Amino acid sequence: MVIIPPTRTTGSSPNPNGPKSGVPAATPRSSDQSSSEQSKRKQAGLLDKKALELENEFKIKHFGVMGVLAWILLLHVAGIYLFTKGFLLTRMVLENKSSCDVLPFEDILAQPHTTALGSKQEKGCWHEKTFDKAVVIIIDALRYDFTVPFAPKGESDIVHLFHNNIPVLYETAVQSPANAFLLPFIADPPTTTLNRLKGLTTGTLPTFLDAGSNFAGTAIDEDNLVAQLHSAGKNLVHLGDDTWQALFPGYFDTNLTHAYDSFNVWDLHTVDNGVTEHLFPLLQPENSKKWDVIFGHYLGVDHAGHRYGPNHAAMASKLQEMDRVIRNIIAALDDKTLLVIMGDHGMDIKGDHGGESDDEVEAALWMYSKRGIFGRTSKDTLLPPQFARDRFVPQIDLVPTLSLLLGMPIPFNNLGSPIEEAFSGARGNNWANLATVNRLTAAQVKKYQHQYALARGAGDDEESTLLWTAAEEEWKSASKGFSSKSTAARASNELYRKYQRHTLDICRGLWARFDVPSMIQGVLILLTSIVLLIIYARGLKTDRTQLTSRLLEFASVGAGVGAVTGFAFGLTGLTEMSMVDGAVLLAAAGSILGATSVLVKKPANLTLPLPNGMWGWLAFFFTVSQSIGFASNSYTIWEDEILLFFLTTFGVCAGVSSMRQKQTTDRILGVYHSILFVILGRIASFSRLCREEQMPFCRSTYYASSTSSTSAPWQLAIPFLVTLFLPSVVRSFYAGSKSYEGAASLWIGFAFRFGLCVTSLFWVLEGADDGEWLPVSNETLKFVRVFLAQLVLALAFAIGTAAYLYSKPCVSINVSKPNEDPNSPPAPIVAGQQQSPRTTVTILGFGNVYGTHFCFLLINFALAIILMQKPMGQGAIALLLWQILSLLEILDTNSLTMTNSSIGPVILGVLGSFYYFKTGHQATLSSIQWETAFIPLTTVQYPWSPLLVILNTFGAQILAAIAVPLTVLWKRPLQTHDRVPASNPNKNPATRILSDVVQAAGTHILYLATINLATTMWAGHLRRHLMLYRIFSPRFMMGSVVLAVVDVVLMVVAVGGVRWNTLTVAEIFGW
Amino acid sequence: MPDTSSALGPSPSTPQALDEKPSAPPVNILPSLIARSYSIAHPALLLALVATRFEALVADPTKELLSTLPWLTLIQIFYVIVCLPPAGSSPPTETSASSPTDGKSSPRPSGAGGAARHGKHAKRKQHSNIWACIWSRSLPALLSLSLTFALATPALTILLVLFGAPLTTHNSETVLCAAHMAVLSATALIYAHGVDRAVWNEVWGISRPADAVWGSALGTGLGAWFGAIPIPLDWDRPWQAFPITILAGAYIGYAVGSLLSRTPLVYGKRVKFTSEDLSETEKKTN
Repeated sequence: MVIIPPTRTTGSSPNPNGPKSGVPAATPRSSDQSSSEQSKRKQAGLLDKKALELENEFKIKHFGVMGVLAWILLLHVAGIYLFTKGFLLTRMVLENKSSCDVLPFEDILAQPHTTALGSKQEKGCWHEKTFDKAVVIIIDALRYDFTVPFAPKGESDIVHLFHNNIPVLYETAVQSPANAFLLPFIADPPTTTLNRLKGLTTGTLPTFLDAGSNFAGTAIDEDNLVAQLHSAGKNLVHLGDDTWQALFPGYFDTNLTHAYDSFNVWDLHTVDNGVTEHLFPLLQPENSKKWDVIFGHYLGVDHAGHRYGPNHAAMASKLQEMDRVIRNIIAALDDKTLLVIMGDHGMDIKGDHGGESDDEVEAALWMYSKRGIFGRTSKDTLLPPQFARDRFVPQIDLVPTLSLLLGMPIPFNNLGSPIEEAFSGARGNNWANLATVNRLTAAQVKKYQHQYALARGAGDDEESTLLWTAAEEEWKSASKGFSSKSTAARASNELYRKYQRHTLDICRGLWARFDVPSMIQGVLILLTSIVLLIIYARGLKTDRTQLTSRLLEFASVGAGVGAVTGFAFGLTGLTEMSMVDGAVLLAAAGSILGATSVLVKKPANLTLPLPNGMWGWLAFFFTVSQSIGFASNSYTIWEDEILLFFLTTFGVCAGVSSMRQKQTTDRILGVYHSILFVILGRIASFSRLCREEQMPFCRSTYYASSTSSTSAPWQLAIPFLVTLFLPSVVRSFYAGSKSYEGAASLWIGFAFRFGLCVTSLFWVLEGADDGEWLPVSNETLKFVRVFLAQLVLALAFAIGTAAYLYSKPCVSINVSKPNEDPNSPPAPIVAGQQQSPRTTVTILGFGNVYGTHFCFLLINFALAIILMQKPMGQGAIALLLWQILSLLEILDTNSLTMTNSSIGPVILGVLGSFYYFKTGHQATLSSIQWETAFIPLTTVQYPWSPLLVILNTFGAQILAAIAVPLTVLWKRPLQTHDRVPASNPNKNPATRILSDVVQAAGTHILYLATINLATTMWAGHLRRHLMLYRIFSPRFMMGSVVLAVVDVVLMVVAVGGVRWNTLTVAEIFGW
Repeated sequence: MPDTSSALGPSPSTPQALDEKPSAPPVNILPSLIARSYSIAHPALLLALVATRFEALVADPTKELLSTLPWLTLIQIFYVIVCLPPAGSSPPTETSASSPTDGKSSPRPSGAGGAARHGKHAKRKQHSNIWACIWSRSLPALLSLSLTFALATPALTILLVLFGAPLTTHNSETVLCAAHMAVLSATALIYAHGVDRAVWNEVWGISRPADAVWGSALGTGLGAWFGAIPIPLDWDRPWQAFPITILAGAYIGYAVGSLLSRTPLVYGKRVKFTSEDLSETEKKTN
């Protein structure tokens, strides 16, 4: 909005907030007619040469700066890797397998009554088998309270849609207890299907390292039930969830097996219909010879939970469908076949799972047989318990139970115990049998423990040895009376049981063992990288770009030397660390040393990086106080509210500071935007998704209700409101500096609005699909939706990037001669000497030439991120964009853009974190909205699906990170080499921009890296805390992922984008 | 609110120099013995009020806040009438003109205003003086009260909500908390400064020179800000309920600010935001 004298008139640099609009400016270069042609050409040649030099210098330094950011990213990755390796629990995998021929007792090598292998197969290996065949059905996420009649937990508890819809399990267990029993079935967290299947087949405990591999399962190499069945020559059939195929490749009959994609949670029926379709033919008598064990895995209940939440009609009808399926299976079952129905985990009130809350771990287990062999040892246990916590079995208990019932050896790693109901006989008093199976199981557990202790290089646990000896003595003294099925065996049964549970406890403790040295190494690398970043971002007086080449050189030399040394140490075996770890550690350390030597080489260039003035202290205070707060579970739980508190505090301080401004326009604009900033933040705070620990002080508004994961119909209006208002809002920020010119009006006024409009349509169709409002098939709707979503993404990323790369700055240049244009407003006095007649150049939008162009990039990503959010989250992201723009105005009116204040990048970091929570996320695993991977896709596709989930999950942080360069570019006055003071003629103004941008980026990273270091250290320090896996560990993981994502986005998109911003501006206005 | 303790660095400027500025000198406690001693006792009295009523406050915040509000208002009114010069009574020019004669040794309150000028029948006059003086002060006191409730309370309510106070529940607590904070902070400010635009601009800019009035107002705000910190902790204490800690913080902040700002080290100094502010003040004072 400001005029320029385009050449060499440095005396009257105009004020960006001064005269309002199109004032004619001084001479353009071409009208300089007084100079002679030749000298002009010469000068132009020189200028071109100079410009070319400056451009090349800028491009080279830009690469260098990106290299520095890449180095910082690598340091972070190295630190996080080393810490994670020590922190996430690991367990040694023993490759031993149990064998049919070898009983687990040390003294008995072969069973006395065996004669030949054939007869053993016939009668059962270690124990006489009860069933020849089995149908094992997993109903994914079958929570225990779905299966029992509704029993209120409190006075306000009412019947929900998920209650009382699958009564068959309870009915049979009550009406014919000898044929069926129903028990709560408690999962060991993490409650992801992959981990649960491992537990359900190996009988051992999961460790945390497994949790991340849900997107790509890997084969189980431990001894397990499926492998035992396979090696015994049983013909196994698998139907449903394809996770089984990843875990047990090659074990199933390829002709009869049918696997289905498991991650398309929008699809409730394909998997279930497929299982049912292929299951029932196999149950027909004529097909009974074709198979021995069928594993069926239904996913509909789980998907209904993910998509709608448990309290939804879709869940009710899904459960009713399962009820019918089970009744049909019962009808088709023969006498020799065991039927097992179970859930692998439960679901939380939103229908998600992965964590360790009660609702997530409480699944159901039901076994059925037409033979009537199940018993209850006491009257108390006759009925299935009302609540899951009353009486339950751990999920690993399935492994010995199923193994012994089918006459298989117990898998080598098993830690579970046989389920009482299955072995106590129809009258519930077969203590001899119970004692026998418990002795077998205990012996196998003992064998495994012994091997594990050997592998660890440690001795056997004394207390368990004592327990075992006591049980054995009791067994020997009582074994004479066993034949009479009396209660004589009861005592030894109890003792073996005690031994098993004691060992389980020991293992839980053992596998919660952290590798503390590795954790400390990781923390040290993160810490030193922060110290370096503080020096680089806040403690340098010179242009950062000048250091780049030497910095990178020394850092890479250091890294190379370190890596080689690390490998060498690993090879020679001087350290206990593995080669990779040693190389990573020493490479990181070496590069840190190298970089330090460069950074501190000239102490004259360094300043003490202490916070400066109120803003610096405020930024410091926000970062540090939040980091300290993560030591407390309360502040971690209530992070969203604390961030709102911080943002409002910033807004109030900005208002106060604006009141101190000398210029009236600055004061009014500043106060207006401060108030706006605060109010927008508070409005956004109404979008909440409460985590379990926030109850009852929190009410979720993100979805239709607290037990749903779909949007309410009124929330579908939000995308339309965003379509209507957001482009106008963005436009108003452009119009403030008269920059709504050129590509801006087309891109913001049309393309952005169009994209938002299509997004709204998408979500209406989504709602229509959920609510079945339209008489169109789901497939058609899905097809149209996918098309719309891909259209928006293409608009945002393909066309948007092209528009960013090739569009001119948002200025409008009018060349006019005053005397030829009498209608134009009277020209005020123009800077410089007035020589008439002169051509005047009017440049609109000049005051914000960098910012408005770079903002395109922000808008592109905002569009894509808005598409990826649920309707409520779209409103939140729109508010975020508005708040970012408002923040930029605050920074400008308080003269914080050109002074490299730390507050802008830090507040952007706080905004990113705040809106993470406002887009329906929490620092918990179960709040990840996996289903958003299917917004523009129908199937899982790598690498797009994970990228889409990242775009949904960290959309707010990504948007904030892209806005970081704007904190120094917004309303930045144009600087070309001929406009800088003569005192520093060799200086390239473009590298000054680069230096400022990388300083802002460094400060932004500094905020996130400090948060990450704090959460990392606290998680490591509080590793024995009761709340580790519920609170500290997920927050640590979130902090690490956010840091890595933001590092990448800052490097590639934000700082990368500055290249084209500067080039575009320089193309028009020169270097 | 910022970490002012750091920003409130020792200023190189002298307080006397600031007094010469036309708009807003720091407000002095009236020099009478009663005024000086009560102004010390007043913060202690308020703290004692909080301490004695704390259990009742925890038990039923709304009821207790409502029932103590009139008492708080009375105490504050008494305080401003006894201890502070009302707005307009000692406009800056008058203060600077009269301060040499009027100073701290003067036996009569400087804020006695026009009534003090007819000094012939000294004894009788002095008696009627007191009443006239009280009358001349109760009017601004009433005015400040009405503005406190009409403007400051809604403004602080909105501010509390913006800082995260619940909007759909706890409305009475929020409003009453804001009313208490308003009576603590705004009454004295309005009483001492009226609606002087220059002063209020300084108030919004947190750039008033420190004195008992401004110090207590700023202290109230900062105290309330810090009072929010213990709320999320999982100590399961009843006093962690929403307005209680904020209010306690506001009272403590009031007392600390009121007393601290009178000490010679702080008195007359201004909160600095940036180093520029500092240099600008230097320029002006030189």
